[in-house]
Amino acid sequence: MTDVTSLLPLAAVAVPALAAVLVLLSGAHPNVREAWTVLGSLGTVAVVALLVGDGATHVTPLGSLVGIDLALRADAAGLLFALLASTLWVATSLYSVGYMRGLGEARQTRYFAAFAASIAATMGVALAADLLTLFVFYELLTLATYPLVVHAGDGPARRAGRKYLAYTLGGGVLALTGILLVRVLADTVAFVPGGVADLAATDPALARAAFGLLVAGFGVKAAVVPLHAWLPAAMVAPTPVSGLLHAVAVVKSGAFAVYRSVLYVFGPETASDLGVAVPLAVVAAATMLLAGLVGIRQDNLKRGLAYSTISQLSYIVLGVALLTPLAAFGALLHVVAHAFMKITLFFGAGVIYVETGEKYVSDLAGVGRRLPVTITAFAVGAAGLVGFPLVAGFVSKFHLVLGAAAAPSGVFVAAFLVAGLLKLLYFWPIVYVAFFGRSDGADPASRHAFAPPHAATRTGSTSHVPGVPVAADGVSVAADGSGPHAPPDAENVVPTDGPGRDAARTAAIDPASRWERPRGLETSAFLLVPVVFTVGVAVLLGLVPTALPFWELAETAVGEVFG
Amino acid sequence: MIDHLLPLLVAAPLLASALPLFVAVRSRWLARWLTVTALVGQFALAAVLAWVVYATGSVSYVVGSIPAAFGIGLFADRLTATLGLLVASGALAALLTDDGSRSGPEYALWLLFVAGLSGVVVTADVFNLYVFLEISGLAAYAMVASARGVDPALAALKYLLVGTVGATLYLLGVGYAFVATGTLAVADLAPGLAAAGHDSTLVVTAFVLMVLGLSVKLALFPLHAWKPDAYAAARPTVATVLAALGSTVAGYALVRIVYDAFTVAFFEAVPALRILLVVAGATSVVAGGLLALRARDVRRLLAYSSVSQFGLFGLGVALATPLSVTGALVVLIGHAVAKGGLFVAVGSVARRHDATVVEDYAGLGDREPLTAAAVAVLGVSLVGLPPTVGFAGKWYLALGAIEAGSWLVATVVLASTMLSLAYVGRLVERCYRGGADAASPARLSTDGGRVRAIAPVIVVGAAVLIVALGLGSSALAAWFEPVVEGWL
Repeated sequence: MTDVTSLLPLAAVAVPALAAVLVLLSGAHPNVREAWTVLGSLGTVAVVALLVGDGATHVTPLGSLVGIDLALRADAAGLLFALLASTLWVATSLYSVGYMRGLGEARQTRYFAAFAASIAATMGVALAADLLTLFVFYELLTLATYPLVVHAGDGPARRAGRKYLAYTLGGGVLALTGILLVRVLADTVAFVPGGVADLAATDPALARAAFGLLVAGFGVKAAVVPLHAWLPAAMVAPTPVSGLLHAVAVVKSGAFAVYRSVLYVFGPETASDLGVAVPLAVVAAATMLLAGLVGIRQDNLKRGLAYSTISQLSYIVLGVALLTPLAAFGALLHVVAHAFMKITLFFGAGVIYVETGEKYVSDLAGVGRRLPVTITAFAVGAAGLVGFPLVAGFVSKFHLVLGAAAAPSGVFVAAFLVAGLLKLLYFWPIVYVAFFGRSDGADPASRHAFAPPHAATRTGSTSHVPGVPVAADGVSVAADGSGPHAPPDAENVVPTDGPGRDAARTAAIDPASRWERPRGLETSAFLLVPVVFTVGVAVLLGLVPTALPFWELAETAVGEVFG
Repeated sequence: MIDHLLPLLVAAPLLASALPLFVAVRSRWLARWLTVTALVGQFALAAVLAWVVYATGSVSYVVGSIPAAFGIGLFADRLTATLGLLVASGALAALLTDDGSRSGPEYALWLLFVAGLSGVVVTADVFNLYVFLEISGLAAYAMVASARGVDPALAALKYLLVGTVGATLYLLGVGYAFVATGTLAVADLAPGLAAAGHDSTLVVTAFVLMVLGLSVKLALFPLHAWKPDAYAAARPTVATVLAALGSTVAGYALVRIVYDAFTVAFFEAVPALRILLVVAGATSVVAGGLLALRARDVRRLLAYSSVSQFGLFGLGVALATPLSVTGALVVLIGHAVAKGGLFVAVGSVARRHDATVVEDYAGLGDREPLTAAAVAVLGVSLVGLPPTVGFAGKWYLALGAIEAGSWLVATVVLASTMLSLAYVGRLVERCYRGGADAASPARLSTDGGRVRAIAPVIVVGAAVLIVALGLGSSALAAWFEPVVEGWL
């Protein structure tokens, strides 16, 4: 691969940034504003596609910061991440439009602008050619995503935002220390496939410290236990935010940065010589299992998905830490596979919330009747995450397990398999309740099998209209969907024809079967098309993994690291 | 005129300060514009000096043709030029945001303050430095008191007492240095002090007294108590110029004394004093941050933040490696711009919305989006995140500390990010709160006075400059390189 100086990598960052500015300027005209977002996302995909299609590696020097030359370099691994993020931004832009308008959310201009800025920062992380460039965009990503986390503006959102900043910027401090140590050790912070030469030659102890700091610092965003606590808290954000940013861009930036640090700064030989990869692998395996266990006990749908994300990210970290070509290949594939599958799940949760106002699994009995396509997509995505064949997750897990089998100890193979089992235990109740539950809550199929029901309202046959206080006899106060608002609950901004309209209507009609079959499209096309798209890609990746560029990019990336 | 550029830099505002006194009797408007013109002229002089220094290297001048060893020498290198520009532009920007109801004496004091600061910046004589330090100090005390009222008067008195004690300590130190060497010129002090023996009691005492005196002006912990009162009680424009320039020039003086007069050899001869300075700096960083967390009044919060930032500066000076001293200089410049911009914003919010405590800033993001965004960017620089100049300063400081093997300093520098995040985050979060949330409506009132339109422009300009300096941090470090190399 020859290096070519061009502006395309910079364009990949500049196009979303420009879109952010244009969104801010056109706040008064919502349709124009949304058009900028969609155009920006399509433009970004186009730039990245150009970079993927071209044989040479494009480089954009970015000048000098604190005496170090910064650059963007579109190599295979970076393009894999960039292509993933930009493609999903297209889907999420459409979804965001449907979601924000469906709920009548406030501050939409700030939302769309911050979203575009976050994507710009993610592109920068993906295409960074050295640790310092990655760090600059990494911190900018934290700043750009903060307004999205605190979008709701109320107490829980602000608290989540503070936790988010404290954890991610604290991680940034650790990572910066690691970068400084690398600079001192090797006089360079550039990414070199296979590791910077002689990094640990002068001072192995310092090199180990640098490794630990880099991995811990970047591991905060990669939600490695015990640095993961910000992720479930950040689920107060609107669902598209949770979907793209916290299941794809932010957490994948963390995992990607760990990937770069382990394989491009330290390299497989140095890392195994120093003996630092095994502790990382152990921590990742523990995260997989612990998060899997905790997730099973969650009744809040999004919180459960957050724990599932924490668990799945450690698949990637573990794949990196195993230091074998197969495991690294599986890790890269899992970056892509998990993204498409998880975002399908988040999209599904969002559709459920927009259409029914429900956030808790135990309130979702039988919702498959009302949202057949959505719940089917959810089930397919879930199956992929468990590792069933024909969906993307199987391919990546297969390679991860094979890579783990090459390691001296079989404990990591066992970890992968047990984690898969835990996933099954997590997802099955949700799918079962959705399809086979009855909304009168009488039979066991209508309750989440493992999670304690949430504290609020579910008592027997009453339905809960969000935002309406439940009176003493358990019957909801107003049957027309409007009424006095309950004390603020983060996501319940309830217009009269938004979430809960079906719940209110059907509650008055027939408490036993809350959901009626949809007439026509079960939800807005803006919401449905992205769901179908992402689950479709997940299935495509499962059936024909080489159909999309990700396979080749991952192969090239692993080839240049391991030789 | 170019030949006499250096003394002109001091003489011009000094002489011009007399004019507003007389003109204001007839027309206040004319007095204000006279002052503005004088400051514009000062800025032009500083710009020419910067160009001359860039083109031809450092410039020296001797007043009255008396040899510098006995008379007064003036000296300008790249650092001088930068500070000169900073003083002129900071004073000009702050005055432009003033609401125009000042009296003649207040304009005169403003120009005296600028003259004093410019004098400190260009002088090459340690006693002369004391004189100008006192001129600027006296002008500052009076400016603080000019706000009229009990709090300003008390704050000014406190500032006067503490400042005078500090200046006197410095003067004592100068005296001892003179006894040791027989000269007051910085260039001759360096060999003179070396000859007298860096570890001799006389020289050590001179150092301690001079640095202690300057530390009062820098407001290092625990000599900082005057700062929050002065910044909170002064009028907004006065607070701006004090915050941006007052301690900054004192920091410049510290660096000159330590590296030009005493030189690095002094630290090598008396390592205990270097350790003492490191401890003082580290304590300031932590104490300033913790005190800022508890502050309710925004101006006090920013004052404690200054204490913390000058602690970082002190750490850089004390470590005495090229990278750490570069970091100290970058922190100095970056802090001046950031604090100046923040105080302009705070002043305009105080005037327009009658809001001085953090709680009252709720909803600023909705009412004044540009100002709030600029405040957020300036805050990010205080925290030290890329790509602002605050990050660049911390990078150089931390890298210098690690390369020097000083892990404590590196830890303090890097951990200060989290402390700064806590108090900056409090303020920025508050700005973006309220409005959409019906339960707690925006508390920002609109029945304050009018604010000059230029104020938000200056705040946004400061934010842009912060990012530009950050992106150009390599160029900034390269600009200071000859100076730093000359010292080390």
